[in-house]
Amino acid sequence: MKLRNSGREAEKIEPQMAPMIDVVFQLLIFFMLTLNIVEPEGDFNVNMPITNSSEASDEPLLQTDIKVRLIANEDGSLNNIRVGQNNLGNGPNVFAGLNNEILLYIIKPGSAISKDMEVELEADYNLHYEYTLKAVSACTGRLDPSGKHIVRYIEKIKFAPPVGRPTEGS
Amino acid sequence: MKIKGKKPAVADVDMTPMIDIVFQLIAFFMVITNFEQIQADERVKLPSDSLAKPPEVKAADELVLNIGFDRNAAGEITDPEAYIFYNGEQIPVLKFGPKFEQEARIYKQKNQDPKDVPVILRADALVKTGLVQDLIKLAQENGFTKFAFKATQKIE
Repeated sequence: MKLRNSGREAEKIEPQMAPMIDVVFQLLIFFMLTLNIVEPEGDFNVNMPITNSSEASDEPLLQTDIKVRLIANEDGSLNNIRVGQNNLGNGPNVFAGLNNEILLYIIKPGSAISKDMEVELEADYNLHYEYTLKAVSACTGRLDPSGKHIVRYIEKIKFAPPVGRPTEGS
Repeated sequence: MKIKGKKPAVADVDMTPMIDIVFQLIAFFMVITNFEQIQADERVKLPSDSLAKPPEVKAADELVLNIGFDRNAAGEITDPEAYIFYNGEQIPVLKFGPKFEQEARIYKQKNQDPKDVPVILRADALVKTGLVQDLIKLAQENGFTKFAFKATQKIE
């Protein structure tokens, strides 16, 4: 039996790198191509149980309801926000104003009355959806100063039928 | 002077660092790739809001509706009518009722109450509010009661 010459250094086996690199590059290209960058998206949850409009009108309007009226210009941009009888205008800080206004109603975030309160949004038919969404956001809360957590104001949001619906066929 | 008798050795490129980096890259792309079928339509330009937080618990089943406009390559609206992009079809918003009916029927066949299935509205920032409300009404008529408005997370 022939024994290996232990005196000689064991020969180093070179693994074949080329095929591995080929495959690895293929994988790399595959993952690079399938990558699609998606902006993080968030939700605003709104519960809207089915109500008959006739029933709704019979129900006495609760004192705790806050009515927010969103008035649009002809082109669908925001003209005015009205909370109760207060006009907030349409300036750049109007949603911060709406946020403050809601805070006045609920006194303190998380207070007992804020649980029962409801915000009713009444928007013009042609108002752009982004303003409605911002109004929903302003009513539901604000970010705390650290910007990480949401301070909840009012969770219950409902929509009144839109104002100024175009007539059929127009 | 001694001259080497051997042939000049082939310069062996050290592959190890390159492979290290390439593996790092693969790992990176694997981690950030999501194969999850997101039913987002790139034609919809969502409004943005700082309060929009991704949901903590994701519903098993949800009905995602993309409401937007026909846009050209530059992103300009070419048709003022808003459509719902649904399974490759373009359906005018107010004609979506039958599709809701069909969806509700499918959920009922799966023994699910449409009332528990959230309807995710991915509406374009420029869609008319009234139209979105009309769509919600159509959904309600077919038994859907949970709605969620999508917005991109604005980082200020």
